[in-house]
Amino acid sequence: MKLSVKIATLMVLALLSGPASAQSKTELTVALSSFSTEVLDPVLGGHIVKYYLSLMFDYLVGTTPDGQPSKEGGIATRWEASADHKRWTFHLRKGVKFHTGEELTSEDVKFSLQRAISKRSTTGYAGPLRTLIADIETPAPDRVVIVTKDPTLIIPTYLSRSLSTEGMVLPKKYIEANGDDAFARKPVGSGPFRFVEQVTGSHIKLAAVDNHWRIGTPRFKTVTFKLVPEEATRIAILRRGEADVADVSRERVKELEGEGFPIHVRREEAILHMWFVLDQDGWPAPMKDRRVREALNLAVNRAEIAQAIFAGKADPASIPMGLSWSFRDIGFKVTPEMAYAHDPARARKLLADAGHPNGFALDVYAFQLPGLPEGKAFAEAVAGYWQKIGVKAKLIPVDYPAFRKLWVDRKAPGAVGYYNIANRDWIGTYAILEKQAYGPSKANDTVNDVEIDGMIAQITRQTDKDKISSLMRNIFTRLRSEHYGVPVVYLHSPYAASKTLGKWNPGSVMYDLFFDELASGKK
Amino acid sequence: MLRFVLSRLVQSLVALAILSVVVFVLARTTGDPLHLILPMSATEEDYAHARRYLGLDRPYVEQYLSFAGKAITGDFGTSIRARRPVSELIRERLPNSLRLATFAMGVTILVAFPLGVLAAVNKGTAIDRAAQVVAVLGQSLPTFWVAIVLVEFVAGRLQWLPAGGVDGFSSYVLPGLTLGWFVVAGLMRLLRSGMLEVLDSEYVKLARVKGVIEPRVVWVHALKNALIPVVTFAAIYFSILVTTAIVVETVFAWPGLGRLAYEGISSRDFPVIQAVVLTTAALVAVVNLSVDCLYALIDPRIRYVR
Repeated sequence: MKLSVKIATLMVLALLSGPASAQSKTELTVALSSFSTEVLDPVLGGHIVKYYLSLMFDYLVGTTPDGQPSKEGGIATRWEASADHKRWTFHLRKGVKFHTGEELTSEDVKFSLQRAISKRSTTGYAGPLRTLIADIETPAPDRVVIVTKDPTLIIPTYLSRSLSTEGMVLPKKYIEANGDDAFARKPVGSGPFRFVEQVTGSHIKLAAVDNHWRIGTPRFKTVTFKLVPEEATRIAILRRGEADVADVSRERVKELEGEGFPIHVRREEAILHMWFVLDQDGWPAPMKDRRVREALNLAVNRAEIAQAIFAGKADPASIPMGLSWSFRDIGFKVTPEMAYAHDPARARKLLADAGHPNGFALDVYAFQLPGLPEGKAFAEAVAGYWQKIGVKAKLIPVDYPAFRKLWVDRKAPGAVGYYNIANRDWIGTYAILEKQAYGPSKANDTVNDVEIDGMIAQITRQTDKDKISSLMRNIFTRLRSEHYGVPVVYLHSPYAASKTLGKWNPGSVMYDLFFDELASGKK
Repeated sequence: MLRFVLSRLVQSLVALAILSVVVFVLARTTGDPLHLILPMSATEEDYAHARRYLGLDRPYVEQYLSFAGKAITGDFGTSIRARRPVSELIRERLPNSLRLATFAMGVTILVAFPLGVLAAVNKGTAIDRAAQVVAVLGQSLPTFWVAIVLVEFVAGRLQWLPAGGVDGFSSYVLPGLTLGWFVVAGLMRLLRSGMLEVLDSEYVKLARVKGVIEPRVVWVHALKNALIPVVTFAAIYFSILVTTAIVVETVFAWPGLGRLAYEGISSRDFPVIQAVVLTTAALVAVVNLSVDCLYALIDPRIRYVR
């Protein structure tokens, strides 16, 4: 009986007290549907959780929220390459301290980079860096020189906030004294927020340092990331004032806007791209035929998908693998002629010309993905469009890991899969394109084109940025003209905020949300 | 009695050993965890490095023997996703699940006992019918739907109680009610039918004839004898609440064992899947063994079966 009395009392008290009061502005709480890897050590798959790691750690090279290199945002205040582009010298900011009080020096930078390319590392670009780096020199505490085996332009970007976590600077002495496992549980960085606690599956709490060179005196004393998988719950805690920011689905934006919650949108956060699974010899029939690939593209009504499936929070895409944040870096323009019309009649004619007047059987794997709860509905819609032009599209519901296994094992040649590929800058895009280019021994290929392979190989050896940009533009042009895949829409990701949060630019950098900018005390 | 307990213990250990092989094999048939933890841009070399570092390049038999040998000592390896010792993750999550299950069971007992007894005593009346409605709703309404309604309405709109997370006593109420309601239905019906049977027995009639007051007949003499199957049911359901609350834990952002299992499965985190399955199986085995022993104590004939 005591328990029931307690529950009843509690409910009465809750009733009397009314809604939870809005949180003090000194605390920022972010409710997210997924923490992904949930790691605290940047080299352990930390690329995908940059949004909280970048608060704890500083990057060697800073990046503005719109993805441009920044001499104000990183440990390096300037950098230069030797004439042969094989020695990159970084001049380090003086007086930067880790949360332990130790001063950050070039030895820490060297240690961090060595650790990022060590066997322990599962970061996004550890592989290319292992291949590229010949030596790391520390001629002075405020100077580090990275020596590469081949001429390259990409070192500063690889070590910047715009890409993965290889550029995060970690405390050498702390890690050597306490070990990797201790660091992975209680990380120490030099960023504007220090680690307080992690309860796996629940939350990660950070506390602000008093004054930081990146953001001055922070607006928030603490930042807490709460893991709340169910959207109804995230919205409920936002309404109760227990969260200041929550990721929400595209379909609930209107309702929340109606209630007065500001919506912050990361435009074109990902491209929803479909691809054809290759077989051991490259393109399987009938995908080998360019007309078939074009027909499949023309059958899809992208505008309708953007409106009906993604509640208008998406825009039609027209370039296969067209990661649009890279377009600004390379000067690529998407012309109106590149947009795919929705033309089922022409699609049917192309199929007939290609020898498939009655269509052909096509397996379409349907799955949801993080950030894509609409995954299955989307796959159903696309399969429906293809059925209308006579293609016997068969939906196969699976979860993504199961499809991925079939794809890389080449056990579903000719089938179609998809992914909401996170948008990124030109180097990140180049790495993806290189990865997806065909090779008999490669698992993750989706494009088999000798001309594109040649351009990719040229980029690796190129040190002239204009030539690289030109090659990248040509790659995109060819991807589009050959219809290598079905680019469907660019997805915009909405975040609902509390009514008192204020101005926040979540930026356009892969896997980062720039909460430090939000917390900044600098005018 | 000792022989009986030992025999059941051996059976439980054999079941766990077989389960460890089954879960080891099944976990590896549906995908490679590296495809989920490495980025799309990772190279073949990155995959080879990670596979070697995580020991996933070793033959399956070697991996199994290594896993089984360590599991006996409570070491379930390191999570591939979170890169922390799995035993640590279990230690963090299991208490949350146990606490929630205890709360839910408390709610269940508080509601089901009076309802079951009142329904039996007032058979065929409005009270009985109301209790039946509670039972039918509890068993027929999907837990997910109940949870979402409570979150949307009680937490989101009325703002009476927290919507999610573990933060003090009040955070137990909504997930506890959601979990408990389903069990209330079963427990109440079981108690009602048990009470009806007992209330019709000779010794109850004798107690009434001897002038024992009705509340004492019902709440002391009858209830005590109707409780035996109910206690068994509650004990087994308690282990089920601990191990299968995935939906409730997900909706209420409750960091329990169910969610850990879900996270492990969706990220193909073999060590976590293996550890959670074996931990929950061990829990169920312990509860079943305890119930078996309880029965054996109550009814000596059970000890001589087989």
